[in-house]
Amino acid sequence: MHLLWEVLKGAVPLILHGNPYLLSIIWFTIQVAAVATAIAAVAGLPIGLAIGLGRFRGRRGLQLLANASLGMPPVLVGLFLYMIWVPQAPLGSLHLIWTKRAVFIAQTVLALPYIVALTAAAIQGLPPGLLAQARALGAGRRQLWTLALREARVGVLAAVIAALGSALAEVGAIVIVGGNIYGFDQTLASAALYEANAAHYEDSVAIGIVLIVLILLLMGGLGALQQRGSGIRMRFHPTT
Amino acid sequence: MTDAPAAEEVLLRCEHLSVRRGESEVVRDVSAELHVGELVALLGPNGAGKSTLLDALGGVLAPAQGRVERHGRVAIALQAPDLARRSVLANVTLALAWWGVPRPEREERAHEALRTMGADHLAERPAWALSGGERRRVHLARVIALRPDILMLDEPFAGLDPESRTNLLEDAVSVLRSPTRTTLVVVHDRAEAWALADRLFILIAGELVAVGPPRELLEHPPSIVVARFLGFDGSLEDGAELLLTRASHVILDPAGPLRAEVAHAVPLEDGVRLELELDGGRGRLYAVAPLPAPRPGDSVRLRVEGGARFPRQVADDAVAAV
Repeated sequence: MHLLWEVLKGAVPLILHGNPYLLSIIWFTIQVAAVATAIAAVAGLPIGLAIGLGRFRGRRGLQLLANASLGMPPVLVGLFLYMIWVPQAPLGSLHLIWTKRAVFIAQTVLALPYIVALTAAAIQGLPPGLLAQARALGAGRRQLWTLALREARVGVLAAVIAALGSALAEVGAIVIVGGNIYGFDQTLASAALYEANAAHYEDSVAIGIVLIVLILLLMGGLGALQQRGSGIRMRFHPTT
Repeated sequence: MTDAPAAEEVLLRCEHLSVRRGESEVVRDVSAELHVGELVALLGPNGAGKSTLLDALGGVLAPAQGRVERHGRVAIALQAPDLARRSVLANVTLALAWWGVPRPEREERAHEALRTMGADHLAERPAWALSGGERRRVHLARVIALRPDILMLDEPFAGLDPESRTNLLEDAVSVLRSPTRTTLVVVHDRAEAWALADRLFILIAGELVAVGPPRELLEHPPSIVVARFLGFDGSLEDGAELLLTRASHVILDPAGPLRAEVAHAVPLEDGVRLELELDGGRGRLYAVAPLPAPRPGDSVRLRVEGGARFPRQVADDAVAAV
C-alpha cells in the first residue's frame, strides 16, 4: 500500500507537467485506436452482416472462427505477423517489422473479430419476422442491410466499443511487431509496459492513469451514443 | 406479369403443387384458383401445412412439384407482426420503400392505409409501445398500403385477446375485400373463417380436402374428415348410414324419437354443453341445452334436425385410415 501511494504521488506531477514525450504517445495511441477501429469496422461490418443475415455455405464456420478469435492471445497474433513479416518470409519485402505501420495493422487484426462476432450476434438477435417480412415484400439487399444495421444498432455499437477497447489496451502483439521502441511506436499501454520493465514505476503508473482517463472519455462518448440509439428520436406523447 | 387477368379473372392458379420442408412433404398435390374480388380463407388444424402452402403460393418457398401461376404482385403478411423500432408511420413507409413505391407517394399512402385500419392516430407512436391489437393493425396496414393484386395473410388475428380479435375482425372484413384484388387469409379459428370468407379452402395433413363457400360446406361436407373438422362432433348410426351432427342439429324434445343418457355436462356462457350417450349403443351426440339443463345420469329424449349423412362403409374405412 505504501509503495502504491508513493508511486501515485510521484506520478501526478509527471502528468501535470505535460512533457512532449507523453503527449506524443497519447496522440499516437489515439491514432492507432481510431484507425484500427475504423478499418476493422469497415471490413468487419459487412462480414458480420453477411453471417447474421446470410444463408450461404460456410457461414457457421466463419462465425466459429470469429468467435474463437475473440479468445486468441494477442501475443500469438503478434508472433504470427512477425513470422510472415521477417525479411526472409513471404511478406518480408514489405519491411513492416518495427514500424508504426506494423502497429496499426496488428491492432486492426485484433479489433476485427470483435466487430465481426458481435455484429453477427446482434443481427441474429433481431426478431426473425421483421427481416423475413422485409424479404417477402421485396426488399433489396441494400435495404435489408440498412434495416438490419439500424435495428441492431445498440449491439453494433457494442461491437465498435469492444473493438476500440482492444485497440486501446492490447500490448501483446504490438510489442513484438513494433518493437516497443521508446518514443517512436509506443502506445500508452506499451509505454506503461516499457516503463514497468525498466522499474520506472512512477512513469508507468502516470501513463496508466492517462490511459484510463482516455478510455473513460472515448467509451463514455460511445456509450452516450449507444443510449441515444436505443430509443427513437421522435415526438412521443403517450396520452394522445 | 400482367397478361390480362380481367379476361378470366383468375389471379392465381396452382396445379398439382407439392412443397417440402426439409425431408418431409408438407403440402401434397394441391390444385386451386383464386379469383379477383374474392376473399378465401385457408383453414386447417395445427400442422396441416397452411403456412407452407401460403409461402409456396406467395413465392417465398419454391415448390417441389407442380406449378404456381400468378397474374400480378403478391404481398404476404407473415404471421409474426414484428415491426422495426421506429414510428408506426416509418414502418409503413418502409414497407412501401421495399415494395418500390417512389418516395413522394409513400407518406400519403401510409396514412391512408393506417386510416383504413383505424390506426392513423398511432402514426407517430414508436412501434414498440403498441399493444398486441395495435401491432396487428399496423402489420395489416403495412401490406394494404402496397395495393397488391394478390394479398396473403398468415393468421392475422393470432394471439389476440377475444375483444381485440373481435374488433379487428369487424374492421378487417370490409378492408380485406377489394374488387380489384384477391385475398387469401390463413385462419386457425373456424369462426374467423365464417366471418370473413367467400370461399374456404380446407387443408388437412397437407391435402386440400374441400373447397367451397362456407355455408355450402357446412350443409354438405364432402367427406367425414371435413365434417369432423367443421365441428360435426356427434355421430348416430342410422341403418346403413352414419349421421354426423353439430350441436345445433340436436334438439332436446320430450316428444323426440331418440332416447339418451347425459354422460357429461360442461357449463357454457349461454347454457350447458351435453354429451349424450344414445340408447342401444347407436352413437354419441353433443347438444347445447338452455338452463336449467339436465344433469349427468339423467335420461332425455331428443330429435335431430339436419346433419350430414355418409354410408357406414365409408365411415369404417375412414376410421381405419385414421
